[in-house]
Amino acid sequence: MNWRVIIFQVGIFATQWVLMVLGFGILARIIVPLKLFGPGIPFGTYLEAGTKALIALGLSVFWLLLWDRQVRVYFYRNNK
Amino acid sequence: MVSLDWDTFAILVALAGFPVSLILTRFFMKWNKAHNIVGVDVHKPSRPTIPEMCGAAVPITLIVIAGIYAAIGGSNAIALLAYSLVVGLAALVGAVDDRLKMRGIFKPLLTLFCGLPLLVLGLEFPGQVYNPTLRVPLFGGFHLPVIYPLTILVAVSVASNAVNMLDPLNGSMSGGIAIVSVGLLIGSLFTGANSTTIFLYASLLFTLLGFFYYNRFPSRAFSGNVGQLSIGASLGALAILGRTEIASIVALFPNIQNSFFFLSRIRRFTEHRELKARPTRLQEDGKLASSEDSAAPLTLVRTIIAGKPASEQEIVSDIWVLFIASASLAMITLLLMGIIL
Repeated sequence: MNWRVIIFQVGIFATQWVLMVLGFGILARIIVPLKLFGPGIPFGTYLEAGTKALIALGLSVFWLLLWDRQVRVYFYRNNK
Repeated sequence: MVSLDWDTFAILVALAGFPVSLILTRFFMKWNKAHNIVGVDVHKPSRPTIPEMCGAAVPITLIVIAGIYAAIGGSNAIALLAYSLVVGLAALVGAVDDRLKMRGIFKPLLTLFCGLPLLVLGLEFPGQVYNPTLRVPLFGGFHLPVIYPLTILVAVSVASNAVNMLDPLNGSMSGGIAIVSVGLLIGSLFTGANSTTIFLYASLLFTLLGFFYYNRFPSRAFSGNVGQLSIGASLGALAILGRTEIASIVALFPNIQNSFFFLSRIRRFTEHRELKARPTRLQEDGKLASSEDSAAPLTLVRTIIAGKPASEQEIVSDIWVLFIASASLAMITLLLMGIIL
């Protein structure tokens, strides 16, 4: 067993897990309750759902970027 | 008390998945070898030839056991039908890929359609297949009437392909997903999930254990895409049916990391066999070492052996420990669903 790798990896998983729960918290408490379009706008429901989905997508990309940085720093810092 | 009885009954029926899967895997090992459906175990110096596509035993067992459970009135027949169709379609895509060796882009595209039974039956029978209210740990949840149905297709495709991409070594996928199933099963039991969810997680677990018996190191049966895609699709479908969406993402952290780093380096959907630079190389002492080619993808296995070559068994053990960690986090996620800040 390579315990060094396992400890680093579990650390990355735990960090990503906390960030993910916080991200879903931001969506649940801030993004989803927002009313972006008035009731009179055609396809307002779909526009609103699409906009919020894009925000969620942006958060996911940022989350993956942080994951990427962690793996590269822990495992590939000195690797050519 | 009634709930406990149904849960026990569900687990007892699911137990049948172990011997059925064991017998079917044994059958496929003999039949596939006789018909020259074989693959080379490239991570061993002797490069033995192993029967391929034996993972077909898993979707067949899952569908048969689900049918039996529905027939004896165990639970929601519509949900079980949707689940069986998803698993069956994913197995079909995998089998076609195993035989025809399709280009890498086709698997994610075709598996998008595998989630259709969940979507169609869910729209036809509201409340029996999926619930568009996403439960979030600590923060309650939110209703997604427009987005949720669309994400079903993506969820099944992503889960099946992520599982498909992390089966490089003997028993790594079957053992890893069995660990994931244990975590999600225990979490579901603690949070009072319905008996269908309990049954489906238990049947996936016991079915995988039957296949794992022959797939573990040194492997005597390879899963093939037919097994990998259907197992992944099964997890994706279960995330929707059992309302364990976020916990399932957490449980699949090792798969997500593997797939993300593979795609971020290669920048396209491709098959391992099409790669010009392999992520690992086999040393003369039988150990696997990280590739020195900078163009090689940063897979999970390559990350584990970065700087320190290891034997196949050691790497698989490391992967299982990572699955134990992710499954534990998934269990905690399920337990936190009931707590709202």
